[in-house]
Amino acid sequence: MDTFCTVYCYAVSRSSPDICSLTRIYYDAGCDDLSFSASNGVVLATEKKQKSILYDEQSVHKVEPITKHIGMVYSGMGPDYRVLVRRARKLAQQYFLVYQEPIPTGQLVQRVASVMQEYTQSGGVRPFGVSLLIAGWDEDQPYLFQSDPSGAYFAWKATAMGKNYVNGKTFLEKRYNNDLELEDAIHTAILTLKESFEGQMTEENIEVGICNEAGFKRLTPAEVKDYLAAIA
Amino acid sequence: MLSSNAFVDPGKMKDYHYTGPVEHRFSPYSFNGGTVLAVAGEDFAIVASDTRLSEGYSIHSRDSPKCYKLTDTTVIGCSGFHGDCLTLTKIIDARLKMYKHSNNKTMTSGAIAAMLSTILYGRRFFPYYVYNIIGGLDEHGKGAVYSFDPVGSYQRDTYKAGGSASAMLQPLLDNQIGFKNMEGVQHVPLTQDKAVQLVKDVFISAAERDVYTGDALRVCIITKEGISEQTVPLRKD
Repeated sequence: MDTFCTVYCYAVSRSSPDICSLTRIYYDAGCDDLSFSASNGVVLATEKKQKSILYDEQSVHKVEPITKHIGMVYSGMGPDYRVLVRRARKLAQQYFLVYQEPIPTGQLVQRVASVMQEYTQSGGVRPFGVSLLIAGWDEDQPYLFQSDPSGAYFAWKATAMGKNYVNGKTFLEKRYNNDLELEDAIHTAILTLKESFEGQMTEENIEVGICNEAGFKRLTPAEVKDYLAAIA
Repeated sequence: MLSSNAFVDPGKMKDYHYTGPVEHRFSPYSFNGGTVLAVAGEDFAIVASDTRLSEGYSIHSRDSPKCYKLTDTTVIGCSGFHGDCLTLTKIIDARLKMYKHSNNKTMTSGAIAAMLSTILYGRRFFPYYVYNIIGGLDEHGKGAVYSFDPVGSYQRDTYKAGGSASAMLQPLLDNQIGFKNMEGVQHVPLTQDKAVQLVKDVFISAAERDVYTGDALRVCIITKEGISEQTVPLRKD
């Protein structure tokens, strides 16, 4: 698979690797995803192109809940993502054990990013081949963070990652404003995804997650279908 | 108890009991006395403690209050072994600061209570000899009291007494605040002034009978306006 080769190439092809170039490599091979922070929630959307129609799409997911109020999606290597999802879930529960309060989104991002940073400095390991988008809701506010293989993390109002992230971001820059409601945000997110989508976009080959005061939820294929119908 | 050493003379009755020389083991703990009490109201909380610090039949200090301010809305009362009380409050203060730097906000009373439970249980096999009671306001502005045992078992209460005179105070509070064992009495919600007066009265009673309680009483009243303190003299004997 594309991503695999790229990871192993970085040490050879880059003469003086610095953190910025490191991150760029993973974007080259990843799938598109993007996310959007609205006034009353956050939406994560990603394409989920399977290599064969024989794949059982519902058995593996890209959009994953971490706690009741935080969810995430990735761009890059699926197996590395799985490890980080488990780690993030454990970190969130450890926080709850001590403080009996749900972990603030920023705190979870800091802890996950620290894990990713460790793997750039420890011996015998390689950096995680994923960039994460973490969406959460706490203290009556939506939050959206990106976490890179370097361990750097950023807060966003709206962002795109993956193959066509340049076009995605440009599209978002035009369409984003602070007062957007969650429903409009979902609509816009799906439209942005469609811009760079090859082939027909159906509820089986994209995944959408939303986060609002009710918590984080991955939309069912039926719900996604309704939104797709609106943009047809 | 008779000991089996050179003093045993078979057949002869013993006149006196003498255990012989006994090596005292070093004890890492000592008991410094003191009583703490916390009451939660509708929109206030009170944490009160006496100010006597003792050891055995001696008094170390007549002015050593056991209430420690943690945040603008939380006060903790610690009694038991004074050395552990001091260290524990320092550790809690440090953890509070770390949380503030990390989370950009102050810890809520509930979070402090949950965290204290894990700190205490972390020393399950060499406990902090401290009886803790936290009093403060929860996120909704209502009074909250959390009471602990030395290894971290805790629960939220309306009122709780801890320390040397706790067995004397707790039944009295059960009756006056919980209206227990009283029939045909109207359950009037506790006002702040009545609560403060009750706290003073119960401590005066405790000082009468408990040798470790006395000298002075420090009352901390926590409301959304802040924390106000009052000091009331108690029996010095």
